[in-house]
Amino acid sequence: MSTSQLTEQAAGAGASSSPSRPAGPARRPASLRARRARAFYVFTVPWVLGFLALTAFPLGYALWLSFTNADGLSQNSRFVGLDNYREVFSDPETMSSLWRTGVFTAVTVPLTIVAGLLLAVLVNQPIRARGLFRTLLYLPAVVPPVGAALTFKLIFDRDSGAANGALDLAGINGVTWLVDPYARWVLIVLTLWGVGNGMIISLAGLQDIPKELNEAARVDGASPWQSFSRITLPLLSPVIFFQVVTGIIGSLQTFMPLLIALDPTPKGVSSVPESNYFYMINVFAQYFANGRYGYASALLWVLFAIICVVTFLIFKLSKGAVFYSVEPEQAKPKARTIGGSR
Amino acid sequence: MSVSTTGSFDRRRFLTVSAGAAFAATALPGCAASVDDGSSDGDTKAGSKTLTVMSSEDEKKELQTVGKALGIKINFVARDETKLNAMLAAKNPPDVVRGLGAVETPYFAARGLMTDLDPYFAKSSVLKPSDIDPVNDVWRYDGKKQGAGPRYGLAKDYSQDQMLWYRTDLFEAAKLDLLSETEPLSYDELLELGKKLTKRRLGKVKVYGLSASGLGTFSQLMGMTASTGGSVFAEDLASVDFSSPEALKALEWYLEYARADIGPNVANPNPDGWDWPTYQAGRMAIASDGYWFGGAIGGDPKVAEVSRFAPAPQLGSNRISPCFGATGYWIPKDAKNKDAAWKFFEYFFGGKAAEERAAGGWGIPSLKSLRSKMPQAQPYQKQAFKVQEQELEHFSVLTFTPYAQLAALDGVISKVLPKAIKGKASAGKAADELNKLMNEQIAKGKELVG
Repeated sequence: MSTSQLTEQAAGAGASSSPSRPAGPARRPASLRARRARAFYVFTVPWVLGFLALTAFPLGYALWLSFTNADGLSQNSRFVGLDNYREVFSDPETMSSLWRTGVFTAVTVPLTIVAGLLLAVLVNQPIRARGLFRTLLYLPAVVPPVGAALTFKLIFDRDSGAANGALDLAGINGVTWLVDPYARWVLIVLTLWGVGNGMIISLAGLQDIPKELNEAARVDGASPWQSFSRITLPLLSPVIFFQVVTGIIGSLQTFMPLLIALDPTPKGVSSVPESNYFYMINVFAQYFANGRYGYASALLWVLFAIICVVTFLIFKLSKGAVFYSVEPEQAKPKARTIGGSR
Repeated sequence: MSVSTTGSFDRRRFLTVSAGAAFAATALPGCAASVDDGSSDGDTKAGSKTLTVMSSEDEKKELQTVGKALGIKINFVARDETKLNAMLAAKNPPDVVRGLGAVETPYFAARGLMTDLDPYFAKSSVLKPSDIDPVNDVWRYDGKKQGAGPRYGLAKDYSQDQMLWYRTDLFEAAKLDLLSETEPLSYDELLELGKKLTKRRLGKVKVYGLSASGLGTFSQLMGMTASTGGSVFAEDLASVDFSSPEALKALEWYLEYARADIGPNVANPNPDGWDWPTYQAGRMAIASDGYWFGGAIGGDPKVAEVSRFAPAPQLGSNRISPCFGATGYWIPKDAKNKDAAWKFFEYFFGGKAAEERAAGGWGIPSLKSLRSKMPQAQPYQKQAFKVQEQELEHFSVLTFTPYAQLAALDGVISKVLPKAIKGKASAGKAADELNKLMNEQIAKGKELVG
């Protein structure tokens, strides 16, 4: 018997048990649906309050600021209309920081997903000490970003770092890793350092794939690669899709260069090399070093819009490439399919 | 089947109520802040006054001690420019804020965010204007220039930040004469010394000959330009000019220093963020850091034995020795506990705390009467005291612009100079680029300050 049938029965029973009671909505006991709705709202109130106070209100406030020349401190700020938004698209520094961020995203998101997937496939094999390998590979992802950045800064220091120490042993000249043009590569390696997160997500996805499918494919003569590419990857596509979406959003907002500078202050912005001067570093600098709250707020709103558009496009483009074993909208079980066709 | 909604929330009402509650939660602290007229003498929770002090972690213990001595509970807030800006913008600032008087006073004073302390000084029996060291003029601003007008803060101690500390062991190893205690080096001589003291191996610097900008590149260029009789800032402080012969000379020297790769610079920043760890490890021969660096030296007897102090080098004939920091405290205009903050000032700057600080060697005390407390027990301290005493007569206040923060101007430098250091742009072109970008920043600030 379905829940709706139970609800209807309960409502009907309630109505028939007190026929002499005057019909009035105030006295009628709340239906199951109403009680459930109330419970839903009660449980979601903390989140909704948090969302309104910590997301909606700041977003609205930032939107208002973005139409002013406020510096956060002076009383003389005024309405400047769309000037800040015009400047966003005409400021070469902003445009180049956006371009750099895009390139970084285009490089690191596929890299981290592929690396995480490869590691997940490896530690999903029936090998000895599998748990130990999983733990070791995941550990770097547990290290706080500031700790990882500090470690990398020490390793790649030109004069006393281990990287140049190794080159020294081989009689090779030291490299100034932490400044241009090498700084971007150090940052990419640092980003890959946290690949354990992706590994865990992909591993969970791999373990959700029924073994029978791969076994059946092998019986039918499929090679390991065919089995991986035709069965595992399609069934893993929702998990990969999740990583693509969250990875892109995270990369567009990355703040890592400031952490590697180990001085997340307005002063620290000046030690971020040009190749790592990403969009969010520019936002931070405009807010707190340059005191341009209005312009920085416009930058944030533009980024917000970019993220919304990019996410929308990814969802549109993913149709036909992501295969759900359960329809996400209806949550009704559906027969497992290979390649998305019944 | 229709469902009764009476007695339960509908979505619209739910969202309306939530929005109201969220707005109230956000707005109420602001209302609470605006109720206090600033005249009260501290928070009397649990019968004791509470003073919110924003300072650096290394001063936390000292502040707690001061609080105990005064019977005031110190609510410590770690120094964070972003947090300070947010607190000032919300009109809910700390009662006392640590800051760099030399470069922050015009910025905050011009925006009306600092309390004029003259009435407090006039009444004080502890902090008398006649006893206040001239360095505290950097905490004054009259709306047009530093060094005049109301006092907005007080330095806890200070240094003349272009003076030099050097390691005699590295000088002796390079068979070089020790530096004069009275006659300043020229910057060209300093550069040559730095080159001779630098040791390399396979493209790596094993020992830096010279660190030329301990407190930031903009300040360094400002001081160098002043020693040639010029000024980076225009008279109205509304623009910079690095193309003037004096500023260009300073810029060219800096580019040569950075290209020589004999010390940390904007193209190769010090990974430690300051000179001490490198200097302590014997990997830096000369550090341009001022008297305060002696406090760190005092913590390592081996380093103290081989450290000596020398006058600030000069780029031109106008001998000056400026202070770029004058780190101290100020009271925000919207602070709630101003009287308690002033009590804190009197004890911290003129009481036992000040005496102990003066003896620590981390800077020249802010009160002239405390100078005799400066450490002179060890040979390096005695030598440093003597050199410092002579240097004081060359102290001068360099006015900073009220229209931009130092971090913004240093940010421009770190964008423009690396290209010039790598030879991709000449000093003249770099100067033009610096002028353009910095003046844009300053113009935007001027529009707001008026």
